[in-house]
Amino acid sequence: MFKKKGKMSILAFALLVMMAVAPVANAMHVMEGFLPVSHCLLWGAVCIPFLVLGIRNIQKTLKDNRKTLTVLALTGAFVFVLSSLKIPSVTGSCSHMTGTGLGAILFGPCVTSVLGLIVLVFQAVLLAHGGLTTLGANCFSMAIAGPILAYFVYKILKGMNVNKKVTVFLAAFLGDLFTYCVTSVELAIAYPSEVGGFGASLTKFLGIFATTQVPLAIIEGILTVVIVIGLETYAKTELKCLEF
Amino acid sequence: MNLFIIWFLTGMAICMTVHGMWKGRGKSHHGKGGHKHGSFLSVDYFAYASEMRKWNASFKMIFAMVCLLLCILLNNIYVSIAVILMMGYLTVVIGGLSFSHYLSMLTVPVVFLIFGTVAIALGFSLDPVGQYRLHVLNLFYIYCSDASLLKAGQLVFKAFGAVSALYMMTLTTPLSELIVVLRKAHIPKVLIELMNMIYRYLFIMMDTHSRMKHSAEARLGYVDFKTSCYSFGQVAGNLLIVSLKRGTDYYNALEARCYDGDLRFLEEKKPLKRSQIVMAAVFVVLLLAIWKITTTS
Repeated sequence: MFKKKGKMSILAFALLVMMAVAPVANAMHVMEGFLPVSHCLLWGAVCIPFLVLGIRNIQKTLKDNRKTLTVLALTGAFVFVLSSLKIPSVTGSCSHMTGTGLGAILFGPCVTSVLGLIVLVFQAVLLAHGGLTTLGANCFSMAIAGPILAYFVYKILKGMNVNKKVTVFLAAFLGDLFTYCVTSVELAIAYPSEVGGFGASLTKFLGIFATTQVPLAIIEGILTVVIVIGLETYAKTELKCLEF
Repeated sequence: MNLFIIWFLTGMAICMTVHGMWKGRGKSHHGKGGHKHGSFLSVDYFAYASEMRKWNASFKMIFAMVCLLLCILLNNIYVSIAVILMMGYLTVVIGGLSFSHYLSMLTVPVVFLIFGTVAIALGFSLDPVGQYRLHVLNLFYIYCSDASLLKAGQLVFKAFGAVSALYMMTLTTPLSELIVVLRKAHIPKVLIELMNMIYRYLFIMMDTHSRMKHSAEARLGYVDFKTSCYSFGQVAGNLLIVSLKRGTDYYNALEARCYDGDLRFLEEKKPLKRSQIVMAAVFVVLLLAIWKITTTS
């Protein structure tokens, strides 16, 4: 009986997708106006220490080598372009990469957090993805939590001498998934279910995201591997200056 | 009292439409062909073409943010409707963006918004709970209640009001002018510089990418799923390599033009008109009044 219940919840979530709740998950950002002001401020405050650290880090690098500014700007533009490209997907839906996993692997989490912030501002202003009041929440999930996890997964697995492809794949895959977990938590705190409160709501949002995001995260992982391999073959010297 | 507000809002809408038609009379619809600049460039295009670009950028930004925050803070349907009407009026009638373009720009967030609220309004449970419930396949219940539906309805208006305020800002103010406002607000210099440069590089990168993609397509790079994954990765990796190589060139170009760690851009002076401030102040007071009337009655 218990086992059957487990299957039921899976079915329930499958149905959710059929009801076309999926587009929300593809939107991947918390939309403008979806969070109460107190939450916006709270998430913004959570982001500040990371961002300050990131900016300090960049300023220090720039003091030593002013040339990195253009490289940083170009990588920021690269992350934006990457996250606005339609990726090949099986269902034909319009889905995008987060690109933050790759950023964390290549440039480290500090730099990625700052670049991620800028990219999110641009997405809000140029694409109307996300918003200005929800910037803190989106920044925390996409530019801080995801990249940090991806970075640590990458570092740990690299230290353990795991196959490079597997390492990169897992880092990007888990970083992507973690981003959605954090987004679900943010939404669940703001909108707890009537029955079951925060827990039930979290399962609901996680379920919605899981059905659409797991395949996407796998694709993102594969694409990141292909990109890294491409980079290693053709741009060894450039990667050295990124301390890859 | 609520009825009064509804009539007032309707009147406001009619006045705006009449003004819009009067202003648009005899104007040829030169933008009729529409331009699908491939995704994100259209916002930028509209912002540069807008009549409201002459307005002071800081003023527009502050006004949009105040309206946005009022929408979220007051959480009142009438306030949101007033904001939606006003922002639509500013963008379309004053700004001169064609109404069909405005609608097509709004469809994306509206679709997300509707599905997002559906996810919030409905709950899923294995036990029969909630006011209204649907038993699906004898397995689980989808439920909702009057309270959750009301909350979802409020959320739609709140978020839509906020989005329209944001759109008023972005569809009438080019990003470079917004960055100037941020600079005046004393955001760290590194961030401002990076934003300025990233904004400029975006267009170059999009162009480079579309060329790479076309040539990959011409060589059957996207015939099936596996190949497209491979091509996508190759193109993206190549894009990064090309941009890294360009980074050095750009820096040399900057140095050749006496770059000493300080990027300065030309900033047009856009004086603030008294009528605009009065308009904004009256509108904000009006919003507060609407909120006061509807919450006390």
